[in-house]
Order: sequence, then C-alpha cells, then structure tokens
Amino acid sequence: MRRTLQISGTLGILLFLVGCGQHVQSVLDPQSDEASAIADLWWAMAIVGSVVFVAVMGFFFVAVMGKDGSRPPGGAMRFIWAGGIIMPAIVLVGILFYALHVTLRTKAPGHILTIEVVGHQWWWEVRYPESGIVTANEIHMPAGGHVLFKLSAHDVVHSFWVPNLHGKKDMLPGVTTTIAMHAREPGVWRGQCGEFCGNQHALMAFDLVAHAPADFDAWVEARQAAASATVQEERTRGKELFFQHGCQNCHAIQGTDAISNIGPDLTHLANRRTLGAAATPNERAMLAQWIVNPRAAKPGNNMPATHLPQDELDALVDYLLSLDQRP
Amino acid sequence: MNGAGTREERFTRLWSAPPGLRGWLTEVNNQPLGKRFMITALIFFLLGGLQALFLRAQLTVSGNDLIGPEVYNQLFTMHGSTMMYLFTVPLLEGLALYLLPLMLGSRDVAFPRLTAFSYWAYLFGGIIFYASFLFDVVPDAGWFAYTPLSGPRFSGAGVDLWLLGLALVEVAGITAGIEIVVTILKFRAPGMSLNRMPIFIWAMLVAGVMIIFAFTTLLTATFMLELDRAVGTAFFDPGRGGNTLLWQHLFWFFGHPEVYIMFIPATGIISMVVTMMARRALVGYPLIVTATVLIGFISFGLWVHHMYTTGLPDLAMAFFTAASLMIGIASGIQVFAWIATLWGTRPRISPQALFVFGFLFIFVLGGITGVMVAVVPFDWQVHDTFFIVAHFHYVLIGGVIFPLLAGIHYWFPKITGRLLNEGLGNHSFWWIFLGFNATFFPMHIMGLLGMPRRVYTYPQELGLDGLNILATVGAAVMTIGFLLFLWNCWKALRDGALAGDDPWHGDSLEWSVSSPPPVYSFIRPPMVRSRHPQWISEMDDSRDPWVERVRDAMDCAPMEFRATLVTDTSHAKPEAVQPLPGPSHLPLVVATGLLLAFVGVLMKFHLLSIGGTVVTIIGLVSWLWPDRAWIDLVRSSGIAAATGLPVLATGRGSTDRWAMLSFLAVLATAFGALFYTYFYLQLFSDSWPPDGITRPAIVLPVIALVLALGAAFMAWLARRRSDTSTDSPMLFLAGALVLGGGSGVCHVLGWTHLNFTAVEHAYGSVFWVISGVLLLTLLLALIFTVAVITFGKGHWDDREALALPMELMVLLWGGLAIATVSVFAVLHVSPILLGS
Repeated sequence: MRRTLQISGTLGILLFLVGCGQHVQSVLDPQSDEASAIADLWWAMAIVGSVVFVAVMGFFFVAVMGKDGSRPPGGAMRFIWAGGIIMPAIVLVGILFYALHVTLRTKAPGHILTIEVVGHQWWWEVRYPESGIVTANEIHMPAGGHVLFKLSAHDVVHSFWVPNLHGKKDMLPGVTTTIAMHAREPGVWRGQCGEFCGNQHALMAFDLVAHAPADFDAWVEARQAAASATVQEERTRGKELFFQHGCQNCHAIQGTDAISNIGPDLTHLANRRTLGAAATPNERAMLAQWIVNPRAAKPGNNMPATHLPQDELDALVDYLLSLDQRP
Repeated sequence: MNGAGTREERFTRLWSAPPGLRGWLTEVNNQPLGKRFMITALIFFLLGGLQALFLRAQLTVSGNDLIGPEVYNQLFTMHGSTMMYLFTVPLLEGLALYLLPLMLGSRDVAFPRLTAFSYWAYLFGGIIFYASFLFDVVPDAGWFAYTPLSGPRFSGAGVDLWLLGLALVEVAGITAGIEIVVTILKFRAPGMSLNRMPIFIWAMLVAGVMIIFAFTTLLTATFMLELDRAVGTAFFDPGRGGNTLLWQHLFWFFGHPEVYIMFIPATGIISMVVTMMARRALVGYPLIVTATVLIGFISFGLWVHHMYTTGLPDLAMAFFTAASLMIGIASGIQVFAWIATLWGTRPRISPQALFVFGFLFIFVLGGITGVMVAVVPFDWQVHDTFFIVAHFHYVLIGGVIFPLLAGIHYWFPKITGRLLNEGLGNHSFWWIFLGFNATFFPMHIMGLLGMPRRVYTYPQELGLDGLNILATVGAAVMTIGFLLFLWNCWKALRDGALAGDDPWHGDSLEWSVSSPPPVYSFIRPPMVRSRHPQWISEMDDSRDPWVERVRDAMDCAPMEFRATLVTDTSHAKPEAVQPLPGPSHLPLVVATGLLLAFVGVLMKFHLLSIGGTVVTIIGLVSWLWPDRAWIDLVRSSGIAAATGLPVLATGRGSTDRWAMLSFLAVLATAFGALFYTYFYLQLFSDSWPPDGITRPAIVLPVIALVLALGAAFMAWLARRRSDTSTDSPMLFLAGALVLGGGSGVCHVLGWTHLNFTAVEHAYGSVFWVISGVLLLTLLLALIFTVAVITFGKGHWDDREALALPMELMVLLWGGLAIATVSVFAVLHVSPILLGS
C-alpha cells in the first residue's frame, strides 16, 4: 500500500502525504525549530515555484496554440519585461528576504551541552567533553535545549546530517566546524554522512537519541558508571582473547590497556543499538559475524577479519556484550 | 563554363586532405574535424549512459547487491566525468567548430592545426580515462575529486589517470575555446557587425571566453593536485599547511561556470530553432544578448553556492545567494523572449519543436529548483542529496541535451544532406521526455526523504524503494528513446530523403550553401546586410564597391594556398586576407608527445616522460617556427593586389596576434589561480612564511626583476628598430637574450639560497610552483627571441616578413614583464607588507 502511494505521489499528491508521515531521516518531518523553519521555507518555495511553472507553461501553450497572428498581452517587449524581468525580480527578492529571515532563525541563542563528533572512514567518534564519555556511531542528547556539535574529520571530508533536526554541516580535516541542534521532543532519528567519503560512504550513519532531560542525566551516570566498572572487572577469558588477537590495536575500552582510536571505542558497545555505523542491528549473531567476517555486513570496511575457533569466538562475544550491558 | 568547373575542382582539392589514412591523420579542416568531435562525443555519451543504467539498476531496491560499493563509486565517478568532460563540452565545441565558418561566412576556423590538435588531445584524454578499465584502476573519487579523498593517502592510481586524462581534455577545451573566440571575432563575413551575429554565435563567443578562464583554473588545480600526488607537495594537505577547502574553491570556480559553458550554447541553439519555428525574427534580440553576456559574467561569482555547508560566514553566503538569483532574471528574459517570438505563429509540430517544448518544460522546473538550492538554509538540507541529483539532471538534460537534440534535428540535414524521419523523431522525443521525468522527478522527493547522493545502497526503513523502482523504469524508457534517436540517424544516413540546401527556410548563412556543404564552406565570401541574411534579400543600393571588389577577388581564390577573409572586430569591414595552413602531421605529433609524457608519469617511467616532453617541444617549435618559403608563396600570389588587403597582416588584422593574446590570457589566469592559492593559504596560517622558514632574500629577485624588465625593453626597441628602418635590430635582440638569460640565472641562483623545498610545507609548494612557472615563461620568451634572430638573420631588410614575429615576440616579453612584476610583488613584497 505504501509503495503504491509513493508511486502515485510522484504524480503530485505524494508530496503532501510524505509531508505528514513519520520518517527517521526526512527533511519533511521536522522535529526542531530549525528544521521546521527550513521545511516551511521549502513548502513556500514549492508553492511559489509551482505557480511560476504553471504560469510559464500556460503562456507557452497559449503562445503556440493561440490564434494565428495574435500578439502577447501588452505587446512583445512589454511582455518580456513583465514576465522575464519584473516578475522574477519580485519573486526572487521575496525569496531572498525570506531566506535571510530563516537563516537568522536557525542561529541558536546558546547551548546546554557540547558534543564533539569526529568523522572517520567510515564511522563516527562521539565525545562528551563535559562528562568524559566517549562512544561511537550513536549520539545521545537531551531534548529541549540546544546542543553544540563540534565537528571535525580524522581523514577525509565528511558531513554531519540529521535531517529531522537541522541541515548538514561539513566535517573537514584540520578545521573545526560547529552546528547547534535541538529536538523538541524525545525521539530517535537517523543521521547520515552527507559528503562522499570513499568506499563505504553509504553505510556511514548513526542513530541520534533525544531523551527527556532527566533520562539523559541518568544515561550519563550509567555510562560513567559502566566506564569505571571496566577498571575493576576481573580478567575473563574473553578479555584475554581481546588482547591476544590484537583488537586493542584499533579499539579502545576505557579502564583497560586498549586506548587506540583507529576504530570505534568499545567501552559502551553492548549499550549501542547498531554495529558498523548503523550498518546492522547490534545482535549477538551479527556481532560474532562482524568479528569473523566484517565485510559481510559492510563491504570494504577497514576492519580485518579475525579467524578463531567457535569457543573462543563465544568467549570474546560474551566479553564484548558485557561492556556496558543495557540496563 | 567548363573552365570554371575545373577551377572549382582544383579549389576543392586545395581544401581537402590527401586521400587515405595519411589524410585522415593530417586533416585540419573544420568540417571533418567538427564531425569527428561530435561522433567521438556521442560514443562517450553512450558509454556514460551505459554506466548510468548500471547505477540505476543497483539502486532499484534497497539492499541490492548487484554491484558493490567499489564498482558503484567507480561507475558514478566515470559517469559524471564522462558526461561533463568527455561528452557535453566536446560535443558543443565540435558543433561550433563545424558550424562557425558556415554561419559566419568564412572558409575555416582561425587556427586549423589547433582544431586538429584539440581533437587529438581530447581523444587521447578520453582514452586515458577509459584505459583505467583495462588496468582495473578505475578512478573512484567522484567527478569533483574532493581532497583529501583524491589525495595520495586515500586513493590509488585511478585518480592519477583521471587527473592526467582530464589535463589533456582541458588543454583540448582551452585550445578549442581560443579557436572559437578568435574565429568569431575575426572571421565574420563583411557586413556581419556584432549586432547582426546570430544568437548562437553570441552564445559561443561568451562560452568560448568562459572556457578560457574556467578551464585554465581547473588545469592549474589539477596540476597542483597531481603534484601533491606524484611529487609530494602539500597544497591540499592540512597536516603541512595546505588546505582541503582550497581545492573546493578552485574546483567550483571552474565547476560553476562549466555548467553555463554547457548551458549558454544550448540557449543559443534554442534561439536558432525558435526563429525557424516562428518563421520570424527573434523578439528582444538585444535583451537576449545582454542576458547571455550577463549569465557569463555572473557565473564566475557563484562558485560558493556549492559550499554552503562548509561553514563559511553568513554574509558571504548571502552575497552568493543574491548573485545566484540574478541568474534567474537573466534566464527569465530568454524564456519570455522565446515565448513572445512564438506567440501567434502556430509553429508546426516537428521533432525539433518538440525538443524545444521539452527543454522549456524541464528547464523551467530545473531553474526553479535551482533557485531553491541557491537559498542557503534550504541547501543545508538538500546539499549532496538526490534532490541535487534531480535538480542538475533537469538543468543538464533538460537545459543542454534537449537543446542539443533540437539542434541535431535542425542541422542534421545541413551536415549530412539527409532528412531525419519526423515520425521516428517525434516518437523518440516522447520516450525520452516521459522517461526523463519518470526517472528524475521522483529524485526530488527521495532527497527530501533523506537519500544522500553517491550511495550504492540505502536502508529499507527510509521507505525509498517505490520511488527508486519508478526511477529505474523511467531510465529504461529514456534509453529506448535514445536508441530510437540513434536508429533514426542511422536510417537517415543510409536512405534518408534528400534535404536540399534549405529545408527549413532558415535565416542564417549556413542555409545558403549546399547540403552537405563544400569543404571550403563558401567559394565567394558572402555579404551580410541584416541579422537574417537569408530572409532579407540584398538591396543593390547598399552595395559597397570596395567590398564587392574584395569579394570578387576572393571568388574561388586564392588557388595556391588556403585563405579566408579577416574583418574587423565590431563592424566586420574587410581588414586582411588570412592564409591558412593545409594538412599537417604536427598536431598529432604534439598531442602524441603529451600523451607519452603523461603515460610516463603514470607508469613512473621517467625516460618516457622526458621523451614525450622532447617530442612535444620539438613539435611545437617546428609548428610555430616562421617559414620563409611559406611567406614567399603567400606574398607571390596576386591576392593581395587583387583585394587591396594585406596577406601578412599585423596588429588587429592578424589572427596570430589574437592567438598570442589568448595565450597570455591563459597564462594570466594560471598565475591568478596560483596567487589566489598563495593568499588563501596565508589567510589560514598562523604565520607567513610559516615557522622554520626564513623569508627568501630579496636581492637576487630584485636583480632578476630589473634584468627581465630590461630584456622586455630591449625586445621593444628591437621591434621599433625593425619597424622604422632596415638596419639590423640584432644588437637589441642580443641584448634581450643576454638580459633575459641573466634574469633566469639570478632566478635560479635565488633558488639555491632557499632553505625550504616544495614538500615540507604548502608555503614552499606554492612558492616553488609560482617561481617555476615564471622561469618557464622566461624560457619561452628566450626561445621565441632565438627564433626571431634565426629567422631574421640576413633578411633584416625584409621588414614585411619580420613584422609579425617581432610583434608576437614583443607581446610575449610584455606578458613576461607583467608576470615578473606580479610574481615579485606576491612572493617578495607581500610578505613584507602583510607577513607576521
């Protein structure tokens, strides 16, 4: 049914239908003041544009179908001046001022939290400088207030984009860019890399979770507790295997000797919703497959395959799934 | 009349290449080469289209695994690069090179050997692009090749193939651009003043000028990126003082005008076809010309609207929005002028008329979405999504390919002598038009629903499957339309109805000659008395006896060598007779030399690079070396006496002077791009020159500067001496050589005092490249001076033959003097004034 609707929508109806739907990665389902302002701008331009289009094509049909020898309204030159210069000038100046107005409305007055996001080929490093939390491929923030995102890139140009909340902002190596976003209500949306960054640009996404403020505080506390818990934990077989097989060469687990950030930080792995920058859901079977054959779910990614017997794999997965187990 | 027939046959032989393969390889005439350009471009179009079908097939449903990310990235890179670099611009250039002489009333374009060189360079560049498939190193960094993804750390040899292939295609584009501009300015029929030029000619003039500036900027940028990759310079490496956004600025300073370089000629075609459809003069000719020139200018001030998401200041972005919106007004003028022209004329439905309708429909939509994406906050959302994919395919297919198809239906009978089948043409239109909209309209919605560009797959949860299936079906429908069009061309070539000279009752000069036209285009230079020479018959009382004498003298003449009439730039009064070269192997030799040099770079086989460079230089020197036998042949013919016009023109009447000026414009643009780089890097660095690098000493550069200015002055004195007396200017020429050589030595001595190389910091990279290019320019001026000395020795009294080489040499020295002063100001004075 949904598919049929979409096909018919391309004939003109759908624009309204999709505008009303619920979408996790859509410009037309705005969940913040900024995204709403931009969506309103889109609808206004779409309506004005449609009127202009219909008018121009209408003139064209009257011109070629009309009576032989008839003349454009007001005479040819006046017609060109009115239609080709004055009309577009009025419309375009109107759009320009409306656009400036929207640009100003998308400037956040201040922010309640700072989150640093670093783009890597092809995953997201996420840091909370105020609480010391480091995670990856998933962003948690409180709903309501503005959050300032400090963006940079580790290797090539990426772009940070959560369409339901705001437009995109590029992540450039050697430069820090910023964007302030907020979500009116708690919810989960999808963000996606918006600048071509090589092989797996397509599967470089993340989930953005906006919590009610109290829930966010609880989330922060739980993460901090989980990170300090790793310090005291005993050396299980899985943890030994983690170091035996060289996982620490790329990954970090806070409180252990693993401190590399070539790959995503695993301190909160079990707490995350997805694996491989939103390439697959974070389930036990997928995690096991990811270790043995990382390119099955995400071809071309940079993690080497680790071949190990089933019992070792089980122990390693047990260990990884113990890292900040979901409450 | 038998004698006249033989005379005509001899004239045809004079203008034709020798038969066989040798003739094919040494061809310089604009008609066969124009056709070759167009056919080669169409082959690349088929390849690019095939790649698009693979892309569409992969995206049909979510999670499809028909082709993986690697192949997908390669194919979209090749699709974009092919359509932008290997298809659209070369096709338009080919069309222009073919049509310009016919529409202007001349016998060939300004630099026939350059036409051939341009074709070979284009073909070789395309072959380098596609050789990547044979060696399985297909470029995969996109047609825009953003750094650092395209830099040495993140991509392989494919990007080298891409950069070097592109460099050849750019050189081909620049030479064709120069050719188009000079031909339009100098080879117009007597009486075709600027305000009588067909709109298509105006459009090509504007596009040609734009090509010279835009392509040169890209050529400089690709050169810098290839240096980063091959030598290890740091232009785009943020770790060593380089800047990744610098590439985006340089690329889009080319990339945005590039869109209008394709679109402006397309509007020119539409103006021609609309005139034919309406059977009356275009309404608002001055407004359309103004709009065309305006679009050309403004398009160089728009590049930042591809960079709204990079975090630039709001005020700067608002400026670029306003500039972008001005394009909307300029386009509005044209659209309403076409509608006004067609009003009440009840045009007949023909394939070209349908394609004009399709153009208007699609282009107006693409223009409207273009206004939307120029709006900063909206662009933050849709930038690099399928909304953009939809927008620019509306503009490029609707705004360029539909007009091209209209133009092909319009001029096919002229070029081939055969009519295309109208029924089949109408059919192909509807398949292409409906298929196009089914393919690309849904992409607007996909973008708004969060589908980014350049992804090989997308998750099912985004709900994009239905729209993508529709788009793929549309692509199949459009493919059928294009196949029908090709089938129509094939059938018409085999057994199409004969077209006759003027099947449409066209208004411009090309319809006055036979179809297909004779290889020399016009046996007698036509005379133009109105904007529509074919419609408004000549009035006897306006005949100028002097012009008539020139035309009579040029009727089927000269017979000893190819020549055409040169007229003045604004009023098109006869100014000179320009002798044109016949078949030559030099263009192929020079292009092959370049190809070998580039292949050597690719294979890291330096001997081959050196060999190729030597071949290129030898080829160029023998190409440009003044030839006394040729000059004597030209002088000995009676054409100068019969026409009363010079055959060895200097000054404004000489195309060679325009060639030198164009070369200097290219050089100035390249220096401009390098200076921009210098100051851009300085802007984003904490100290300049950076820490650890001492500012270069100024003494030797000052001496080099003074000596270079002295050499230029000597060259000027030499020319004055040879202009005013028959005394030998040898003293001054030797002075220019000695002073210029001294300047070069000081230059190199200055280098030995530098405590930095080109690789450890971007400052060193830009410093070395700027001063290196300056030294090469100096070498060129010295070689030119040596050539003048060799040519003039023993003949100093032959002032007529010497005048042109002298003039060109002084122009080159003048250009060198300006370059030396500006380089000195940038590299040595600006750090003192602005440094920290």
